[in-house]
Amino acid sequence: MATHVPPPATTSPVAAEAIKPEKVDYMNLPCPIPYEEIHREAMMSLKPEHFEGMRVDFTKVLNQRFSLSHSIVMGPTEVPSQSAETIKIPTSNYEFGANFIDPKVCYLIIDTILIKFLAIILIVIVIFCLSKVMLFGRILTDGRLSARLKCDLSENFTMKANAQLTNEPHMSHGMFNFDYKGTDYRTQLQLGNGGLLGANYIQSVTPHLSLGGEVFWAGQHRKSSLGYAARYNTDNMVASGQIASTGMVALSYVQKVSEKVSLATDMMYNYMSRDVTASFGYDYILRQCRLRGKIDSNGCTSAFLEERLNMGLNFILSAEIDHKKKDYKFGFGLTVGE
Amino acid sequence: MAAKKSSSEGVLSRASSTISESPIVYKGKQVASDAGFVAKKLLKSTGKAAWIAGTTFLILVVPLIIEMDREAQFTELELQQASLLGTPAVAAPQK
Repeated sequence: MATHVPPPATTSPVAAEAIKPEKVDYMNLPCPIPYEEIHREAMMSLKPEHFEGMRVDFTKVLNQRFSLSHSIVMGPTEVPSQSAETIKIPTSNYEFGANFIDPKVCYLIIDTILIKFLAIILIVIVIFCLSKVMLFGRILTDGRLSARLKCDLSENFTMKANAQLTNEPHMSHGMFNFDYKGTDYRTQLQLGNGGLLGANYIQSVTPHLSLGGEVFWAGQHRKSSLGYAARYNTDNMVASGQIASTGMVALSYVQKVSEKVSLATDMMYNYMSRDVTASFGYDYILRQCRLRGKIDSNGCTSAFLEERLNMGLNFILSAEIDHKKKDYKFGFGLTVGE
Repeated sequence: MAAKKSSSEGVLSRASSTISESPIVYKGKQVASDAGFVAKKLLKSTGKAAWIAGTTFLILVVPLIIEMDREAQFTELELQQASLLGTPAVAAPQK
């Protein structure tokens, strides 16, 4: 697939220049996609956020930099149970969130209650933050608080922090990521609580192919893993594969059939537990709506529709039918605001 | 009990019991019950397959048809409006 056919001699010089792909400049390769987004296209097409019940999201932009969001979710949620039966309990909650995005200035961050541990380090780092800062905080009525921080310390170096706090003991966790972006490579270091340590690296090998690897150590569970990933993309298709020593092999392929339609397929195989799941889906992006449908080898078929009723008003329908487990989930919702 | 007494019964009952106990009739009954069993199973599994196919079609294909229809309507409306408002420079989008 990497061989290129030279254009015919009768095309105009401008067109020939635009499609002249003969000599690959290995010194000027494009920057690759971040390692955790290797399967991004497939995930976006095949795994929309299905839900059951009703969901209403309201986003209000107060300022160029600040916005608030309110969200109400009502519906049955699954409770993990020992038996094969899924137990659903109707729950409802309200979530309040605030987003702060600042493109250029140095800020002293005052509300450090967002992150319980490592708060001092956070203040110090953010004080020295000379560029873009993004903060997202969300709190739910059942007492769960989640916060995310993204800070561009310099043009190539980014720090991200992520924390989720709950009322239950030992269920809170937080993670720091440090990313460095080079001309044709990216590296990332992850530190989390519970002794989580991870590092990954991805490099563009040709203008279409990028390869990467990752290493992960979970101190609390005494587990470590090593993984490799590869991604090949052209204008019309993206093929990616990932293999990890925990036994997971994930392959995916997305083909853009036209500018409105793309088809995606994905296969996950666990060679430790001999468990295979393959799925096939479509993604139609039309002017008024976005429709994603998928069918699975576990006998599960699902669809997700986002319909634009008006400017800033989106109507969402989600359906998931599991023929094997006879579990049917349908949801509807509304998203107001941009 | 009537079978055991067949030797001491009249001609008519003996003839009818010969027919009803003959191996051909017995075989015929067996085949009929087997066929009934298979047909019932087939009907059930066809019903199950039809149910699965029907609900899957409903979830995957029906919204697609509806949305594509709406898109076609929308495009037609735009085309009409463009031609009505007199924008001759706009070329019709080739699908």
